[in-house]
Amino acid sequence: MSRSFRVASLLAASSIRQGSLGVTLLIILILALVGLNLLFVPGLLGGLVSGANEKVIQTYTADIVVESRRESMLIRDVDRLISRIEAIRGVIAATPRIKLGAELSFDDERTGAVIYGIRPEREKRVFTIHQSLIEGSYLEPGDRDGILLGIQLAGADQPDIELYYRSLRRVHAGDRITVTYASGLEKKYIVRGVFHTEYIQTDLEAFVVEKELRAANPLPPDHAASIHVNIAPNADIRSIAAQIGSLRDDLKILTWEDYAGIVRSMTGSFTVIKAILNVVNLLVAGITIFIVTYIDVVNRRRQIGIQRAIGITPGSITLAYLMRATFYAVTGIIVASLAFKYLVVPLEARYPFHFPFGDVFLRAELWDMLRTALILLSTALAAAFIPVRAVMRVKILDAIWSS
Amino acid sequence: MYQVQELTKIYDMGKVKVKALEGVSFTVPDGDMLAIMGRSGSGKSTLLRQMGLLDQPTSGRILLDGREVSRLPERERAKLRLRHLGYVFQEYALLGELTAHQNVYLPGMMLGEADNYRERARELLELVGLGERINHYPKELSGGEQQRVAIARALINRPRVLLADEPCANLDTISSAMVMETLVRLNRELGVTVIFVSHDPDDRKYAQSVLVLSDGRIAQRSGQVK
Repeated sequence: MSRSFRVASLLAASSIRQGSLGVTLLIILILALVGLNLLFVPGLLGGLVSGANEKVIQTYTADIVVESRRESMLIRDVDRLISRIEAIRGVIAATPRIKLGAELSFDDERTGAVIYGIRPEREKRVFTIHQSLIEGSYLEPGDRDGILLGIQLAGADQPDIELYYRSLRRVHAGDRITVTYASGLEKKYIVRGVFHTEYIQTDLEAFVVEKELRAANPLPPDHAASIHVNIAPNADIRSIAAQIGSLRDDLKILTWEDYAGIVRSMTGSFTVIKAILNVVNLLVAGITIFIVTYIDVVNRRRQIGIQRAIGITPGSITLAYLMRATFYAVTGIIVASLAFKYLVVPLEARYPFHFPFGDVFLRAELWDMLRTALILLSTALAAAFIPVRAVMRVKILDAIWSS
Repeated sequence: MYQVQELTKIYDMGKVKVKALEGVSFTVPDGDMLAIMGRSGSGKSTLLRQMGLLDQPTSGRILLDGREVSRLPERERAKLRLRHLGYVFQEYALLGELTAHQNVYLPGMMLGEADNYRERARELLELVGLGERINHYPKELSGGEQQRVAIARALINRPRVLLADEPCANLDTISSAMVMETLVRLNRELGVTVIFVSHDPDDRKYAQSVLVLSDGRIAQRSGQVK
């Protein structure tokens, strides 16, 4: 074995060293492009899925949503329940919300919306909406005249947003808008701020402080429509959800995935698309590498014939070609990985793809890179093995003289 | 002892079958220097390729020290080529990506019975007069020099038989003489049985035995060959 290995190493190293630099670079370039393709698609879809999930968690649902099983659909004894939820290991914070349907109007524009009554200080510990303000400021706990609007409601003179023509169009921080609640009560609010989270569902929300919503509408005290729970990054969401569920039997516990069913369905579809594209990419990679190796081996038929004629074993010759393929594949993988991590990802981060749930950033995860490396290497080895074995079956004299 | 018995080789060219060798039989004693001669198309190279185990005859046998070798599987024939036979091709057939030194020691490395194949390769290159050119690549050598590298390569594993297929066909007169004298010297000094193919009647002078082929049959034999 060591003899075969030494002979194969000599043949492989010599052919790489003495072979055409242009051809070597071309093969590596092709493999690097194939590798980039194998990294880009999972990176894009991975970024798409994780970007959508993060937006949902950080701006719309939090990690866990607690609702009521009661007929009134309201959670009772909220303050005590929040204390107990926050006492569970792994929970960072929880915030209650009440909500009412309303119509918003500004000048001649009108639009429907759900207005949430929130506790601003708690909201900041659960959601990141306060970091997405494009105008004005966030609500203060004692603010009874202020309202916070998502950009899809305010419009903010940005006609390029998705739902601009259904919005109030020209509302900015400092403007006064009229809110007509479902009860018929009409009240004017000063727009304290406009936020743009880039997740449409969130950007269709409007917030006032809880006390104001309760004062303006006959809502039962110490009740909430939902409680949103933020948990630590490595905490076990299923376990925490089960623990919250065990606190009382009138609660309905939903994880963010359960709650945002549309996103789950979308991410599920993306996962399937990703798998299909991976298979297609793998086939393309395999065929490309096969063609490159096949042409290379066919051009070396005479050399292979001579090697066989002077007594070099087919095993050594095959091993030499596998070593060459490994060299090309490993170099291609390194080039692809470096180009992806240090060129494509930063470039895309500067000019990200824009989707309805936010900007999508490519993800360069170690596992994806390792998997790509393995796929490329295996494909390169298989693609080298098949034509070399085919040439091995040709008669020595045909290999030498038919070239 | 190299024995060829009733050797026939027919090339199947589709509709046409070409009989290149027909019932050729002879025995080459150890240490002989045999010239296989004849006109172009007489079957000389075909015969040498069968004897070098690069091809299989249609019928007949080839025996090396009494052992039938022509019907062995490719793996076994490769071992025999490596251990007992040295083959020199008409077109040198060097590996272009290896230096002269590497070309010579590659089969030695494959056999790997001792790690001194590099030193032996150097000695062989000196023996064929190329001691100063061991690190040159084939493209940097003349035709005669390349053929002498091919001879050194054929000798690296101390073969019992050296087969040379028109080794001077592509060489000028001076280079041809150098190559043939090298073969004679190897035959005398190392005791290697040399069998070479040539169409040049002048090359008879280098041989101890001569076999003349005509239309795939032996037309004439002289010397020790029976």
